[in-house]
Amino acid sequence: MSATGELAKVPAFVRRDFRIAISYRAGVFGGLLGLAAHALVFSFVGKLVDPARLPEFGGTRVTYMEFATIGIALNMVVVLLLAQVATAIRSEQMLGTLESLLATPTRVGTIQAGSAALAVISIPLRLALFITVLAIIFGLDFHAGGILPSAVLVLAFVPFLWGIGLLAAGAILTFRRGVGALTAGTAALSLVSGAFFPLSVLPAWLQTIANANPLAITIDGLREALIGGSAWASIGSDVIELAPLSIVAMAVGVMAFRLALARERRNGTLGLY
Amino acid sequence: MRGLVRRFDSKPALAGVDLGILPGEIHALLGPNGAGKTTLIRVLAGLVDPDAGSVEVSGSVGLVPSGDRTFYLRISGLENLVFFGRLHGLRLRAARARALEALNDVGLSEAARLAVGKYSHGMQKRLSVARALLVDPSVLLVDEATHDLDPEGARQIRALIGELAGRGTAILWTTQRVEEIRDFAHVVSFINRGEVRFTGSVSELIARAPAQRYVVRIRNGHPDIPPRAEVLQQALGSVASVVAGPRGQDDFVLDTGSGAALGPAVAALARGGYELMACRPERAEIEEAFLALTDEAPS
Repeated sequence: MSATGELAKVPAFVRRDFRIAISYRAGVFGGLLGLAAHALVFSFVGKLVDPARLPEFGGTRVTYMEFATIGIALNMVVVLLLAQVATAIRSEQMLGTLESLLATPTRVGTIQAGSAALAVISIPLRLALFITVLAIIFGLDFHAGGILPSAVLVLAFVPFLWGIGLLAAGAILTFRRGVGALTAGTAALSLVSGAFFPLSVLPAWLQTIANANPLAITIDGLREALIGGSAWASIGSDVIELAPLSIVAMAVGVMAFRLALARERRNGTLGLY
Repeated sequence: MRGLVRRFDSKPALAGVDLGILPGEIHALLGPNGAGKTTLIRVLAGLVDPDAGSVEVSGSVGLVPSGDRTFYLRISGLENLVFFGRLHGLRLRAARARALEALNDVGLSEAARLAVGKYSHGMQKRLSVARALLVDPSVLLVDEATHDLDPEGARQIRALIGELAGRGTAILWTTQRVEEIRDFAHVVSFINRGEVRFTGSVSELIARAPAQRYVVRIRNGHPDIPPRAEVLQQALGSVASVVAGPRGQDDFVLDTGSGAALGPAVAALARGGYELMACRPERAEIEEAFLALTDEAPS
């Protein structure tokens, strides 16, 4: 089937996953409750933080909640998207549905991308919802003019995440395990991201690593746009910094996933639990 | 299919399989566990690449897999079929229309909007057949479709498949329930260790291993004193051997020996004053053939 034909199948996955997601009504409610609890914890942690130690954005001194909200929101997206991309094929194996999918004229790449499509589509919505709700509850002051530049920055960041997710997907497909390693990797990425505390508190060598961390670049860019009000001014340089990292991550991820797929096909174990 | 070879870790799962299935034919594929049946189905469905050999299909291939969990249990049967229909390249409206038709064909219209998790095993199997019908396949591969169904559920699936064959679909039906192929399959092949050992009609299969052991009920004219095996053996002489049967009393197992007819043994018993009240082969004829072919040395 042509690339267009394959692309036309992606909405079918989105519809399927949306219907499955809403069938878990308690799950949706529980997720929201979890996020609210998460935010509440940080609101109390924020009371211990000396605002003088927090960085300024656009000459504005931020509150800890303003600082942490963007970090929490983007972290949530990272965890969700990485898990979805990394475990898409494995989940179908575990469910027992992969062979039924493969028996249709659908490429494995389409199954992989389709299974993560809903998570990708929901990223802006989740981010916007989360940040808006916290802004209302905690009276946070964000610049509305930063919303569009933020969306562009997140779009530049998504291929990096997808690439890392594909790399993990290849490992999980090969070893039938790896969710633990993925969690550890996500935590490491988060540690040097400045999501919950300023990077200035890290040791110098970790700060060096953090400066090249796409998650840190994105979080910083979002803060500049939404808190500092820089709008499009700083986004360009952030996107230029992210683009090569995203391209490399995507290329490595696609290659690793293809190798893992070829191995599974050779062994005849792709559809096996 | 010609010369299909597939090895797993250098162990051959298919060792040069040649098989042809005609339109409208139900071709049963028998074989013990690990014989290569499912590997053959997976190769034919395009799920596993063969190491050698070729497959030619005129038209599309449908698959009814053996597993139970081949659907998304949280969404309805209709939604599942719409999803799979779209993966076959149908647009949403066409997929929905085709899914409703297929559900009607397998008698699941009323359960169309019920979550698949609430379907019985039998209903899930019928849904699996409905999914295969979405693309109107010219060849339908059915892998162990009745292995976990009750007799009525299994009968329904066979009836459904029979209807499809009647409309011209070529069916490859793998099973270990050997008795179900009688009056159902037009052609049967027996596969073991990746090799096709037999292809022919069901009656030709049965003729491969005629029964030689029978469970018989014998009376001797004294209702209170059942006959003993040693005494019966004296009456039978060298015509057949007899031992006490599984239920005791007047129940015995008679062995006529390989290729021998039952008649002389019955006559010898009658001459000794015994009445043969009931007689059945110890094992079903097809089961006998199945076991005989399983025991045959590889060619």
